[in-house]
Amino acid sequence: MKLILEVTDLTGGYLPNQPVIHHLDFTVKENEIVGLIGLNGAGKSTTIKHVLGLMEPMSGTSKIDGQTFREEPENYRSQFTYIPEMPILYEELTLWEHLELTAMAYGLEEQTFLTRVRPLLEEFRMDNKIKWFPSQFSKGMKQKVMILCALLVEPKLYIVDEPFVGLDPLGIQSFLEYMVKFRNNGAGVLMSTHILSTAERYCDRFLIMHEGRLVLSGTLEELRVRSGLENATLDEIYLYVARGKVT
Amino acid sequence: MIDVKKLWTKRRNAHVTQTLKYFSLMANSGLIVSLILLIVIGSVYYAKLLQALPENFPAVFILTIVFSFWLTKSPIRTLLKEGDLVFLLPVESGMKQYFSKAISSATATGAFLTLFIFTLLWPIVQFFIHDGWKMYVTFGFFLIAAKVFNIYVSWEERRLPYKSHQTNYKIMRFIVNFVYAYLLFNEAYIFLIAIFAIMYVLKNFVFGVFKKQHGYQWEMLLAEEQSLKMKGYRFVNYFTDVPALKQTVHKRPWLNSLASFSFKKKNALSALYMKTFVRSGDYLGLYVRLILIGFLFIYLIPAGWWQLIVVFLFFQMFALQLFTLYTQYRWNVVFMIYPIKQDTRVKAFQNWLRYLLIIQGGFYGLFYGLLSGDWMIAILMPVGAILYSILRLPSMTKKHITLTS
Repeated sequence: MKLILEVTDLTGGYLPNQPVIHHLDFTVKENEIVGLIGLNGAGKSTTIKHVLGLMEPMSGTSKIDGQTFREEPENYRSQFTYIPEMPILYEELTLWEHLELTAMAYGLEEQTFLTRVRPLLEEFRMDNKIKWFPSQFSKGMKQKVMILCALLVEPKLYIVDEPFVGLDPLGIQSFLEYMVKFRNNGAGVLMSTHILSTAERYCDRFLIMHEGRLVLSGTLEELRVRSGLENATLDEIYLYVARGKVT
Repeated sequence: MIDVKKLWTKRRNAHVTQTLKYFSLMANSGLIVSLILLIVIGSVYYAKLLQALPENFPAVFILTIVFSFWLTKSPIRTLLKEGDLVFLLPVESGMKQYFSKAISSATATGAFLTLFIFTLLWPIVQFFIHDGWKMYVTFGFFLIAAKVFNIYVSWEERRLPYKSHQTNYKIMRFIVNFVYAYLLFNEAYIFLIAIFAIMYVLKNFVFGVFKKQHGYQWEMLLAEEQSLKMKGYRFVNYFTDVPALKQTVHKRPWLNSLASFSFKKKNALSALYMKTFVRSGDYLGLYVRLILIGFLFIYLIPAGWWQLIVVFLFFQMFALQLFTLYTQYRWNVVFMIYPIKQDTRVKAFQNWLRYLLIIQGGFYGLFYGLLSGDWMIAILMPVGAILYSILRLPSMTKKHITLTS
């Protein structure tokens, strides 16, 4: 399977000489959903910011399609879409205009945009709200706008930060079905979440972070072997790691 | 346990300090000079207007209308904050002291403003009803009494859980205030006493009952507080920048055609900038205001080539103000990660600004041409906008980017 995202020896943080994440090594390949798991403050969001190209690494690299952000900024960023933890919307734009702007910014053809957007809107039951402004949306609906924008582009890589908070059960189900569909079509997904039961069912591999370091990674079976916990659920392994039992 | 009395004092002091700070900022801004000028000119015209009014001017009726509205409108600053919905709910029973402080403060402000408005209108009273300091004192006293009554019962009215019910009672108060003011300005004191009796009954047996039936409507109180705060900020914003001012979005569908671009990647950000400009409360308002003030200057200054300098200054003012839009999305992650090159982003911003400058120049040119008939200089105004955008904008953008990043 071809590599999409390749993070090598990545160290970074907000203050010089005080790294928040240390020597991370991981990859996301085609046809896989990778779960990024860790406690609050474990460094998941900082990792994601480095992958997005919003923070400069102190050392190490994050490559998408073999290129770093510094080398080819525009190309790097056109390979992925991002669903932030807190929905970020333009107060002045309607739902439809959010979708249109995203499509334009990622260089979609108008015809492609129009054929993709309708089924998405229907799936997430937002098709009767296209003229609404963000002030009229609930938190869950705002999250749906973010999801719609990200799915619309159909990139190679999806970077998803805690997508389930505030989303209704039908919305969660629709989102996961889309993720699986795109994965089967060759896309890669990096998804940070706390909802471990869902992660266990949908993710192909896991990255467990603790205090800025990657302490365990692999498929569920591999995690069980490495932690020495036979037949354990992801929950149990995670708690075991989070209590500092693995170094 | 939270000491709600202390909490009120703390918040009131913070509020007063903030208000004073804004006042000093306002005093420092150039606009205050023009405001004073306006007041001086206004008072001269006011005197002239009074003399020009006909004998049968319906002074009583107009005063009655003005005060019916003023008395009915009884804003109360509660200085509540969003977090209070969580943190003060447990001490709801103790909040009586907090709110009674808020009511006293609203009463003081209300009484002062009532007297202020009455003083402004006093010349009309002198002219058409009755002159003499005794009249001033009597009218002033009765108006303040009515204001106090209104603030007090409107507080009880705020306990009603539905806006529509509150409105019904507000209409009732309006009618009472109307009759009250009408009788007062007709100097029918005997009837006024009858109205006092009605007000007493209302206070104790209508509005007074709400207290037993309903608690506080926290969310409505908070919404009122926030809208009053925003009103204050918007006023100050005319003089100086208020960062806390939340932008309100107006749909303005008739302006949508301005913001429609063909479906191309290079147009993405121009469309975003234009839509933000067209729909956000302040940018468009600023644009229209600058154009109108520009008209005033073109009108006041004798015609000639120097008008081009005036117009150039207005371009500069507009461009400087609009650079805030460039930084508006600075912390928006979604905006930052669009796969769009930095210089394409800068260009989109400049093109959009150029577009608006040309429209601005076009308005000035048209106005100047119609006024002076000198179409040569008139044409040069929009042309000047193009030149300005080519020669000035790039260096301004560069400076702005280095300053803000």
